[in-house]
Amino acid sequence: MQRLLIFLTIALSFSSCKSAVTSEHSPTVYQTGDNSLWAEKNFNDSSWSTKRGNTDQQIFWARSVVKFIKTPSASIGLQIEAFGAFELYWDGVLIGHNGQITQKNKPEQPGTATSFFQIPSALADTGRHIVALRITQSYLNGVKRPIGIKPDIYADLLRRPLILISFMNLMAGAFLTAAIYYFFLFLNSRRKEYSVLIFAFICLLFFALQITEYIKFYLDIRYTDFFLRLEIIGWLTFAIALLVPLYFSIQFSFPQKKALLIILFIILITVYGINRQHYDLTAMLYSLVMWLASLIIVANAILQREKGSLIVLSGLLATAAINHFLFYDFGLFISFTMIVLCILYLHTIRTRMIEDEYQSSLLLSSRLQLELIKKNIQPHFLKNTLTSMIDWVEESPKQGAEFIQALAEEFDIMNSISEAVLIPVRQEIELCKTHLTVMQFRKEIRYEWEDSGIEDSEYIPPALIHTILENGITHSIPHADSLITFKLSYLRTANYKQYTFCTHALNREVLKKREGGNGFRYVKARLTESYADRWKFISEAAPGGWLTTIQIYDK
Amino acid sequence: MRILIIEDEARIARRLERMTRDFFEQNISGIAIYDSLQNGLSYIENHTIDLLLLDLNLNGENGFDILESMVARSFHTIIVSANTDKAITAFTYGVLDFVAKPFDQARLSMAFRRINASGKNAEHTMKYLAVKKAGNTRLIDIQEVLYIKGAGIYSELYLQNGKQELHDKSMEMLEQLLPDSFERIHKSYLVSLDQAEKIIIKPGSSYSLLLKNGEILPIGRSKYKELKQKMI
Repeated sequence: MQRLLIFLTIALSFSSCKSAVTSEHSPTVYQTGDNSLWAEKNFNDSSWSTKRGNTDQQIFWARSVVKFIKTPSASIGLQIEAFGAFELYWDGVLIGHNGQITQKNKPEQPGTATSFFQIPSALADTGRHIVALRITQSYLNGVKRPIGIKPDIYADLLRRPLILISFMNLMAGAFLTAAIYYFFLFLNSRRKEYSVLIFAFICLLFFALQITEYIKFYLDIRYTDFFLRLEIIGWLTFAIALLVPLYFSIQFSFPQKKALLIILFIILITVYGINRQHYDLTAMLYSLVMWLASLIIVANAILQREKGSLIVLSGLLATAAINHFLFYDFGLFISFTMIVLCILYLHTIRTRMIEDEYQSSLLLSSRLQLELIKKNIQPHFLKNTLTSMIDWVEESPKQGAEFIQALAEEFDIMNSISEAVLIPVRQEIELCKTHLTVMQFRKEIRYEWEDSGIEDSEYIPPALIHTILENGITHSIPHADSLITFKLSYLRTANYKQYTFCTHALNREVLKKREGGNGFRYVKARLTESYADRWKFISEAAPGGWLTTIQIYDK
Repeated sequence: MRILIIEDEARIARRLERMTRDFFEQNISGIAIYDSLQNGLSYIENHTIDLLLLDLNLNGENGFDILESMVARSFHTIIVSANTDKAITAFTYGVLDFVAKPFDQARLSMAFRRINASGKNAEHTMKYLAVKKAGNTRLIDIQEVLYIKGAGIYSELYLQNGKQELHDKSMEMLEQLLPDSFERIHKSYLVSLDQAEKIIIKPGSSYSLLLKNGEILPIGRSKYKELKQKMI
């Protein structure tokens, strides 16, 4: 949509650039001094110079010939681009003035840099006319701007900027909306993503840049303030040229962000220093530097196979093409818009990634819930338990009943914790104890449970210790006394919590080395679910058995 | 009968032992019980057994990994396991039976009865013959087998590629495991009927079977009638 608007803008501005007045005019000539005859149509100014020369505080005159080949169809106007204050004469007739030129005892009142004058129709017939300006420029003396005189249909002179502004404001409005939206997004999101904030700033700066650029059409800017606007535009461009590559470097995880930023800043400052006073050139170089920096980052992103890098590359190449074919002002805005569009696109990719992450975390949680429930209904556990149970019931119904009770209790606890992400550590210990009762009936080995230093207010992921306990039962052989002891201890330090779980027994030899089975995967997934990457899990053989350590860091 | 039980649940191992003794009564010369694959395997290396009762999930180890090397041996294997989903696969490897947990005396006895039943059993889903060779076990697709020749306590497998392999199980034991397409045509020959071309009758009423590859095998007098029925 935005691209279409830009296109229309260009089309419109080009079509309206073609003047409706068929005219020729000779180069403007200058003469320092003051003489009322110099306004006359028939004054011979052949000795005047095409260079302004140093006019200092003095009054000087400028003359220019305008030839109408056809009688203009509508009221004629003149657009004058000049620094200073002046009176305007058309064939010797005073048409109007801009500001007040220096008079005795009265300092000059500066005029506006751009001004429009309507020429009475009676004076605008076919043939040769003389525009003469009586000028002073007592401020900004060093600036010797040539005076631009452009005849055209008066209404067009006024209307053309309006059309241009309407499109530019439309674009600026879109950027303002985007800026506000992304600011809100940054403020209200739990994950403070600085790329979002940077993007909001880029949009805001871009809005400000467009407003500053086209403010000249609806504010009378006196020529003394003329450079202030350009200076502001320069610094806005400077900031954008710094932020856009920064944004790309964050988005595409560029390895040397800091170095890149520092180098970029140095280059931009150097450009500013070298080309002071050449405002347009400076802004153009800024955007060139920005473009090159972005290109480097994007090229690197393509090598890293980052998502969206190819889109941004094509965007950058398109801006280069546009800049090559278009008048600078438009080119700048269009290429900036393209870049912002690229960023917006990247944003949608990013949002999509966040959505995917969220979805997969939901999936993980439900998968873990499922795994927890499966613990007690997987055939190996259930059928071995049932087989032992039948045997106990056949042999000694009383103990068989105890066995059944213990199993029911384990099921109860499992049921009550199955949907929790974290449970009180005491409940976990209860679960482990009932599990040991069940396993005692099955394995006919004495299992003993000890715990020390447990803080009852602590919470842990469900079946975490239970899983490690299962592993301990599976991979241990009791010592000669047919006893296996399990000990859980808790420790709190300044920056982490630690659970150690010790299995006191002989370790079985394994046929095949395994990287911790499903059990350890479950433990690690549960830890990640609750503590992201703030945990450490070590499980290894230790003197006298097996030792598992879980550390959970505060930060 | 010399019997080995590999089961890591003490209670279940004792149940198996009790029921096995109840079934075989006087015919048992020894029952060994081990709760891990390693110990069970080393027992097999050093002792001769007639029957193995094997759980497929032992202390988290997958019993399937060693099933190949078990069925390649001279004894019958009965799987006693909770993982019924593994039953079909176990049969393709050539186990005698798959007893699902929880089991009772009746079900286990049914499995034991298969040991002594001569000829075919109900389940014939065996797909491979596991053969021990130079310390390794190799699975041979039974489609590859032309015929099997009994050689006392061993069997010789004659394969389509012209090679021969030796199997530790007797021909009678293999006959219990192999599918219906294998027919006993002689006291020393078990033939895959898919490979049979026609029966050749020689004077003096001696019969032979011509195979598709041109080999000729003898047919036992007592087997001729039954074979003739099947060939048509």
